[in-house]
Amino acid sequence: MVCRYLIPTDYILNLGAMKKILILIIIFYILALLQTSFLIHFSFFNITPNFILIAVLLLNLLEEPRKNNGIFGAVISGFFWDIFSNRPIGFHILILAGLAILIKIILRRYVQFPVVKRFQI
Amino acid sequence: MSLHFSESRFCRAKRGMVLIIVGLLVIFSLNFFQKEVKGFFYLISSPIQRILWRAGDGVSDFFKTISEIKNLKKENEELRFRNQELISQIAQLIELEKENKLLREALEIGLEKEFKLSLAEVISKDISQDSILINKGSKDGITNNLPVIGQQKTLIGKISEVYENFSRVILIFNKESSFDAKISDSENDISGVIKGKGNLQLFLDLVPRGKEIKEGDFVITSSLGGIFPRGLLVGQIGKVLRNDIEPFQQAKIRPAFDIKKLETVFIISDF
Repeated sequence: MVCRYLIPTDYILNLGAMKKILILIIIFYILALLQTSFLIHFSFFNITPNFILIAVLLLNLLEEPRKNNGIFGAVISGFFWDIFSNRPIGFHILILAGLAILIKIILRRYVQFPVVKRFQI
Repeated sequence: MSLHFSESRFCRAKRGMVLIIVGLLVIFSLNFFQKEVKGFFYLISSPIQRILWRAGDGVSDFFKTISEIKNLKKENEELRFRNQELISQIAQLIELEKENKLLREALEIGLEKEFKLSLAEVISKDISQDSILINKGSKDGITNNLPVIGQQKTLIGKISEVYENFSRVILIFNKESSFDAKISDSENDISGVIKGKGNLQLFLDLVPRGKEIKEGDFVITSSLGGIFPRGLLVGQIGKVLRNDIEPFQQAKIRPAFDIKKLETVFIISDF
Protein backbone atom coordinates (compact mmCIF):
# COMPACT_ATOMS: atom_id res chain seq x y z
CA MET A 1 0.00 0.00 0.00
CA VAL A 2 1.44 3.39 -1.00
CA CYS A 3 0.80 6.49 1.03
CA ARG A 4 0.95 9.90 -0.61
CA TYR A 5 3.38 11.32 1.91
CA LEU A 6 4.97 10.09 5.11
CA ILE A 7 5.68 13.41 6.78
CA PRO A 8 2.44 14.74 8.30
CA THR A 9 2.61 18.05 6.43
CA ASP A 10 -1.11 18.58 6.85
CA TYR A 11 -0.58 18.93 10.59
CA ILE A 12 2.69 20.84 10.33
CA LEU A 13 1.24 23.35 7.87
CA ASN A 14 -1.99 23.68 9.83
CA LEU A 15 -1.79 27.19 11.28
CA GLY A 16 -4.42 26.50 13.92
CA ALA A 17 -2.47 23.52 15.26
CA MET A 18 0.79 25.47 15.12
CA LYS A 19 -0.78 28.28 17.13
CA LYS A 20 -1.97 25.81 19.76
CA ILE A 21 1.50 24.24 20.03
CA LEU A 22 3.11 27.68 20.32
CA ILE A 23 0.72 28.58 23.13
CA LEU A 24 1.51 25.26 24.88
CA ILE A 25 5.27 25.97 24.56
CA ILE A 26 4.90 29.44 26.12
CA ILE A 27 2.61 28.21 28.93
CA PHE A 28 4.83 25.25 29.89
CA TYR A 29 8.02 27.34 29.69
CA ILE A 30 6.54 29.88 32.11
CA LEU A 31 5.24 27.04 34.31
CA ALA A 32 8.71 25.42 34.40
CA LEU A 33 10.30 28.74 35.40
CA LEU A 34 7.65 29.30 38.08
CA GLN A 35 8.02 25.74 39.38
CA THR A 36 11.84 25.77 39.65
CA SER A 37 12.33 29.34 40.93
CA PHE A 38 9.12 30.53 42.61
CA LEU A 39 6.87 27.66 43.74
CA ILE A 40 9.83 25.68 45.09
CA HIS A 41 9.79 28.03 48.11
CA PHE A 42 6.35 26.77 49.16
CA SER A 43 5.86 23.35 50.66
CA PHE A 44 3.09 21.59 52.54
CA PHE A 45 4.33 19.05 55.09
CA ASN A 46 7.76 19.15 53.40
CA ILE A 47 6.28 18.29 49.98
CA THR A 48 6.35 20.77 47.11
CA PRO A 49 3.51 20.15 44.65
CA ASN A 50 4.65 19.55 41.09
CA PHE A 51 2.49 21.87 39.01
CA ILE A 52 3.97 20.69 35.69
CA LEU A 53 2.69 17.17 36.36
CA ILE A 54 -0.67 18.50 37.60
CA ALA A 55 -1.04 20.66 34.45
CA VAL A 56 -0.29 17.71 32.13
CA LEU A 57 -2.78 15.48 33.98
CA LEU A 58 -5.52 18.13 33.88
CA LEU A 59 -4.90 18.94 30.21
CA ASN A 60 -5.20 15.28 29.24
CA LEU A 61 -8.17 14.54 31.47
CA LEU A 62 -10.24 17.60 30.54
CA GLU A 63 -9.48 17.69 26.82
CA GLU A 64 -11.73 15.88 24.37
CA PRO A 65 -10.30 12.29 24.19
CA ARG A 66 -9.97 12.32 20.37
CA LYS A 67 -7.73 15.42 20.34
CA ASN A 68 -3.96 15.13 20.74
CA ASN A 69 -3.02 18.50 22.26
CA GLY A 70 -2.56 16.82 25.65
CA ILE A 71 0.14 14.53 24.23
CA PHE A 72 1.95 17.48 22.60
CA GLY A 73 1.64 19.34 25.91
CA ALA A 74 3.17 16.35 27.74
CA VAL A 75 6.16 16.26 25.34
CA ILE A 76 6.73 20.03 25.63
CA SER A 77 6.43 20.06 29.44
CA GLY A 78 8.70 16.99 29.68
CA PHE A 79 11.31 18.82 27.60
CA PHE A 80 11.31 21.86 29.89
CA TRP A 81 11.33 19.62 32.98
CA ASP A 82 14.42 17.87 31.56
CA ILE A 83 16.09 21.21 30.83
CA PHE A 84 15.68 22.43 34.41
CA SER A 85 16.62 19.13 36.07
CA ASN A 86 19.81 17.07 36.18
CA ARG A 87 18.34 14.21 34.12
CA PRO A 88 19.27 13.59 30.46
CA ILE A 89 16.99 15.21 27.87
CA GLY A 90 14.20 12.76 27.05
CA PHE A 91 13.75 11.22 30.51
CA HIS A 92 10.71 13.22 31.62
CA ILE A 93 9.46 13.51 28.02
CA LEU A 94 9.06 9.72 27.87
CA ILE A 95 7.41 9.55 31.30
CA LEU A 96 4.91 12.36 30.65
CA ALA A 97 4.17 11.36 27.05
CA GLY A 98 3.61 7.75 28.21
CA LEU A 99 1.27 8.98 30.94
CA ALA A 100 -0.64 11.20 28.48
CA ILE A 101 -1.02 8.35 25.94
CA LEU A 102 -2.22 6.02 28.70
CA ILE A 103 -4.85 8.56 29.81
CA LYS A 104 -5.99 9.03 26.20
CA ILE A 105 -6.29 5.25 25.62
CA ILE A 106 -8.29 4.79 28.83
CA LEU A 107 -10.58 7.74 28.04
CA ARG A 108 -11.10 6.71 24.41
CA ARG A 109 -11.81 3.05 25.09
CA TYR A 110 -13.28 2.75 28.56
CA VAL A 111 -14.73 6.09 29.67
CA GLN A 112 -17.62 8.02 28.23
CA PHE A 113 -18.99 11.34 29.37
CA PRO A 114 -22.58 11.57 28.09
CA VAL A 115 -23.00 15.17 29.28
CA VAL A 116 -19.92 16.34 27.41
CA LYS A 117 -21.03 14.51 24.26
CA ARG A 118 -24.40 16.25 24.34
CA PHE A 119 -22.69 19.62 24.53
CA GLN A 120 -20.44 18.74 21.60
CA ILE A 121 -23.42 18.07 19.35
CA MET B 1 -15.19 3.01 0.73
CA SER B 2 -13.87 0.51 3.25
CA LEU B 3 -10.65 0.17 1.21
CA HIS B 4 -10.25 3.94 1.22
CA PHE B 5 -10.96 4.02 4.98
CA SER B 6 -8.45 1.25 5.74
CA GLU B 7 -5.86 2.91 3.48
CA SER B 8 -6.15 6.27 5.16
CA ARG B 9 -6.05 4.61 8.56
CA PHE B 10 -2.94 2.65 7.56
CA CYS B 11 -1.28 5.81 6.25
CA ARG B 12 -2.24 7.71 9.36
CA ALA B 13 -0.71 5.02 11.57
CA LYS B 14 2.42 4.98 9.39
CA ARG B 15 2.74 8.74 9.54
CA GLY B 16 2.18 8.65 13.29
CA MET B 17 5.02 6.14 13.63
CA VAL B 18 7.30 8.28 11.43
CA LEU B 19 6.47 11.33 13.56
CA ILE B 20 7.22 9.44 16.80
CA ILE B 21 10.51 7.98 15.50
CA VAL B 22 11.69 11.35 14.09
CA GLY B 23 10.66 13.06 17.33
CA LEU B 24 12.51 10.53 19.50
CA LEU B 25 15.63 10.78 17.33
CA VAL B 26 15.60 14.59 17.54
CA ILE B 27 15.06 14.53 21.33
CA PHE B 28 17.77 11.96 22.07
CA SER B 29 20.25 13.58 19.67
CA LEU B 30 19.92 16.73 21.80
CA ASN B 31 21.80 14.82 24.51
CA PHE B 32 24.98 15.04 22.41
CA PHE B 33 24.78 18.83 22.81
CA GLN B 34 23.19 18.67 26.26
CA LYS B 35 25.55 21.23 27.81
CA GLU B 36 25.01 23.72 24.99
CA VAL B 37 21.21 23.22 24.91
CA LYS B 38 20.78 23.47 28.69
CA GLY B 39 23.30 26.32 28.89
CA PHE B 40 21.35 28.28 26.26
CA PHE B 41 18.06 27.87 28.14
CA TYR B 42 19.71 28.82 31.47
CA LEU B 43 21.20 31.91 29.84
CA ILE B 44 17.89 33.19 28.47
CA SER B 45 15.94 32.21 31.59
CA SER B 46 18.31 33.38 34.33
CA PRO B 47 17.14 37.05 34.51
CA ILE B 48 13.51 35.93 34.96
CA GLN B 49 14.49 33.11 37.32
CA ARG B 50 16.49 35.49 39.53
CA ILE B 51 13.46 37.76 39.91
CA LEU B 52 11.15 34.78 40.56
CA TRP B 53 13.57 33.29 43.15
CA ARG B 54 13.66 36.56 45.13
CA ALA B 55 9.88 37.03 44.84
CA GLY B 56 9.27 33.44 46.00
CA ASP B 57 11.63 33.92 48.92
CA GLY B 58 9.88 37.13 49.97
CA VAL B 59 6.34 35.77 49.64
CA SER B 60 7.14 32.50 51.47
CA ASP B 61 8.84 34.52 54.26
CA PHE B 62 5.72 36.67 54.61
CA PHE B 63 3.40 33.65 54.92
CA LYS B 64 5.80 31.88 57.27
CA THR B 65 5.85 34.89 59.58
CA ILE B 66 2.04 34.96 59.70
CA SER B 67 1.78 31.22 60.39
CA GLU B 68 4.48 31.29 63.06
CA ILE B 69 3.39 34.44 64.88
CA LYS B 70 2.02 32.31 67.75
CA ASN B 71 5.35 30.63 68.42
CA LEU B 72 7.40 33.82 68.20
CA LYS B 73 7.16 34.69 71.91
CA LYS B 74 8.20 31.19 73.01
CA GLU B 75 10.99 31.10 70.44
CA ASN B 76 12.17 34.54 71.53
CA GLU B 77 12.52 33.38 75.14
CA GLU B 78 14.38 30.26 74.04
CA LEU B 79 16.73 32.32 71.88
CA ARG B 80 17.43 34.77 74.70
CA PHE B 81 18.38 31.85 76.93
CA ARG B 82 20.54 30.32 74.19
CA ASN B 83 22.13 33.72 73.58
CA GLN B 84 23.21 33.92 77.21
CA GLU B 85 24.75 30.46 76.94
CA LEU B 86 26.59 31.38 73.76
CA ILE B 87 27.90 34.65 75.20
CA SER B 88 29.50 32.75 78.07
CA GLN B 89 30.91 30.21 75.59
CA ILE B 90 32.35 33.03 73.45
CA ALA B 91 34.09 34.49 76.49
CA GLN B 92 35.69 31.10 77.18
CA LEU B 93 36.66 30.70 73.52
CA ILE B 94 38.31 34.14 73.39
CA GLU B 95 40.50 33.06 76.28
CA LEU B 96 41.29 29.78 74.50
CA GLU B 97 42.06 31.64 71.26
CA LYS B 98 44.58 33.84 73.03
CA GLU B 99 46.15 30.77 74.61
CA ASN B 100 46.17 28.99 71.26
CA LYS B 101 47.81 31.98 69.56
CA LEU B 102 50.52 32.11 72.21
CA LEU B 103 51.17 28.39 71.92
CA ARG B 104 51.29 28.60 68.11
CA GLU B 105 53.76 31.44 68.31
CA ALA B 106 55.83 29.48 70.80
CA LEU B 107 55.77 26.36 68.61
CA GLU B 108 56.07 28.36 65.35
CA ILE B 109 53.02 26.78 63.73
CA GLY B 110 51.22 28.99 61.20
CA LEU B 111 47.43 29.30 61.13
CA GLU B 112 45.52 27.00 58.80
CA LYS B 113 45.24 28.32 55.27
CA GLU B 114 41.80 29.78 54.48
CA PHE B 115 39.89 28.50 51.47
CA LYS B 116 39.95 30.18 48.11
CA LEU B 117 36.30 31.05 47.57
CA SER B 118 34.17 32.38 44.75
CA LEU B 119 30.70 33.78 45.30
CA ALA B 120 27.70 32.56 43.29
CA GLU B 121 23.98 33.28 43.24
CA VAL B 122 21.27 30.58 43.34
CA ILE B 123 18.84 30.92 40.43
CA SER B 124 16.75 27.76 40.49
CA LYS B 125 16.17 24.46 42.20
CA ASP B 126 15.35 21.05 40.73
CA ILE B 127 11.77 19.86 41.29
CA SER B 128 13.10 16.80 43.13
CA GLN B 129 14.77 19.32 45.51
CA ASP B 130 18.15 17.58 45.32
CA SER B 131 20.06 20.02 43.15
CA ILE B 132 20.34 23.76 42.58
CA LEU B 133 21.56 25.91 39.70
CA ILE B 134 24.11 28.67 40.35
CA ASN B 135 25.31 31.49 38.11
CA LYS B 136 29.00 30.54 37.85
CA GLY B 137 30.35 28.18 35.21
CA SER B 138 33.42 27.04 33.31
CA LYS B 139 34.07 30.69 32.28
CA ASP B 140 34.68 31.47 35.97
CA GLY B 141 37.03 28.52 36.42
CA ILE B 142 34.50 26.18 38.04
CA THR B 143 35.14 22.46 37.62
CA ASN B 144 33.30 19.30 38.64
CA ASN B 145 33.31 18.05 42.27
CA LEU B 146 34.24 21.38 43.87
CA PRO B 147 32.65 21.77 47.33
CA VAL B 148 29.92 24.39 47.80
CA ILE B 149 29.35 26.04 51.18
CA GLY B 150 27.05 28.62 52.75
CA GLN B 151 27.93 31.88 54.46
CA GLN B 152 28.49 30.27 57.90
CA LYS B 153 30.83 27.57 56.54
CA THR B 154 27.90 25.16 56.31
CA LEU B 155 28.24 22.39 53.77
CA ILE B 156 25.70 22.60 50.94
CA GLY B 157 26.92 20.16 48.30
CA LYS B 158 29.29 19.76 45.40
CA ILE B 159 29.39 20.77 41.74
CA SER B 160 28.02 17.99 39.52
CA GLU B 161 27.68 19.58 36.08
CA VAL B 162 29.43 22.63 34.65
CA TYR B 163 28.01 24.73 31.81
CA GLU B 164 29.62 27.82 30.30
CA ASN B 165 27.93 30.35 32.60
CA PHE B 166 26.14 28.09 35.08
CA SER B 167 26.76 25.05 37.27
CA ARG B 168 24.53 22.46 38.84
CA VAL B 169 25.15 21.70 42.51
CA ILE B 170 24.18 18.31 43.91
CA LEU B 171 22.93 18.97 47.44
CA ILE B 172 23.99 16.82 50.39
CA PHE B 173 20.38 15.50 50.55
CA ASN B 174 20.77 13.83 47.16
CA LYS B 175 20.52 10.02 47.19
CA GLU B 176 23.87 9.79 45.40
CA SER B 177 25.60 11.91 48.04
CA SER B 178 27.68 10.21 50.76
CA PHE B 179 30.78 11.44 52.59
CA ASP B 180 32.74 11.01 55.81
CA ALA B 181 31.89 13.08 58.86
CA LYS B 182 32.50 13.15 62.58
CA ILE B 183 30.77 14.45 65.67
CA SER B 184 32.55 17.57 66.83
CA ASP B 185 31.43 17.59 70.48
CA SER B 186 32.52 14.07 71.32
CA GLU B 187 35.51 13.49 73.53
CA ASN B 188 36.11 10.17 71.82
CA ASP B 189 36.37 10.55 68.10
CA ILE B 190 33.06 9.32 66.63
CA SER B 191 33.06 9.21 62.88
CA GLY B 192 30.51 7.92 60.40
CA VAL B 193 29.18 8.38 56.91
CA ILE B 194 26.57 10.99 55.98
CA LYS B 195 24.10 9.69 53.42
CA GLY B 196 21.46 11.69 51.58
CA LYS B 197 18.00 10.10 51.40
CA GLY B 198 16.36 12.60 49.04
CA ASN B 199 13.51 14.99 49.83
CA LEU B 200 15.66 17.10 52.21
CA GLN B 201 16.51 14.12 54.45
CA LEU B 202 19.98 13.34 55.78
CA PHE B 203 21.30 10.44 57.87
CA LEU B 204 24.49 9.67 59.78
CA ASP B 205 25.25 6.01 59.18
CA LEU B 206 27.91 3.39 60.01
CA VAL B 207 28.42 4.58 63.58
CA PRO B 208 29.45 1.57 65.73
CA ARG B 209 26.79 0.58 68.28
CA GLY B 210 29.14 1.00 71.24
CA LYS B 211 29.63 4.72 70.64
CA GLU B 212 27.16 7.05 72.28
CA ILE B 213 25.68 9.81 70.16
CA LYS B 214 23.41 12.45 71.63
CA GLU B 215 20.67 14.52 70.08
CA GLY B 216 21.89 18.05 69.41
CA ASP B 217 25.55 17.12 68.81
CA PHE B 218 27.17 18.96 65.91
CA VAL B 219 28.34 17.00 62.88
CA ILE B 220 31.26 18.31 60.83
CA THR B 221 33.06 16.99 57.76
CA SER B 222 36.26 15.00 58.15
CA SER B 223 39.04 14.94 55.58
CA LEU B 224 38.89 11.11 55.26
CA GLY B 225 37.20 10.82 51.87
CA GLY B 226 39.04 13.78 50.39
CA ILE B 227 35.79 15.09 48.87
CA PHE B 228 35.30 18.01 51.27
CA PRO B 229 37.74 19.96 53.44
CA ARG B 230 37.52 19.11 57.14
CA GLY B 231 35.65 21.20 59.67
CA LEU B 232 32.62 22.24 57.59
CA LEU B 233 29.37 22.20 59.55
CA VAL B 234 26.90 19.61 58.23
CA GLY B 235 24.16 19.83 60.88
CA GLN B 236 22.95 18.64 64.24
CA ILE B 237 22.07 15.12 65.34
CA GLY B 238 18.31 14.59 65.40
CA LYS B 239 16.62 11.32 66.31
CA VAL B 240 19.04 8.44 67.01
CA LEU B 241 17.95 5.11 65.51
CA ARG B 242 19.36 2.08 67.31
CA ASN B 243 18.54 -1.50 66.42
CA ASP B 244 19.81 -4.53 68.37
CA ILE B 245 20.22 -6.59 65.21
CA GLU B 246 22.21 -4.02 63.25
CA PRO B 247 25.94 -3.67 63.97
CA PHE B 248 25.76 0.08 63.34
CA GLN B 249 23.49 2.83 64.56
CA GLN B 250 21.95 5.58 62.49
CA ALA B 251 20.90 9.13 63.30
CA LYS B 252 18.79 11.68 61.51
CA ILE B 253 20.60 14.94 60.81
CA ARG B 254 19.02 18.37 61.01
CA PRO B 255 20.88 20.24 58.25
CA ALA B 256 22.68 23.45 59.20
CA PHE B 257 21.28 25.45 56.28
CA ASP B 258 17.76 26.25 55.16
CA ILE B 259 17.41 25.60 51.46
CA LYS B 260 14.55 28.10 51.18
CA LYS B 261 16.71 30.93 52.52
CA LEU B 262 19.64 30.13 50.29
CA GLU B 263 20.40 33.05 47.96
CA THR B 264 24.18 33.11 47.73
CA VAL B 265 26.71 30.31 48.06
CA PHE B 266 30.50 30.01 48.00
CA ILE B 267 32.43 27.58 45.84
CA ILE B 268 35.70 26.38 47.37
CA SER B 269 38.10 26.36 44.44
CA ASP B 270 41.18 25.45 46.47
CA PHE B 271 41.51 23.65 49.82
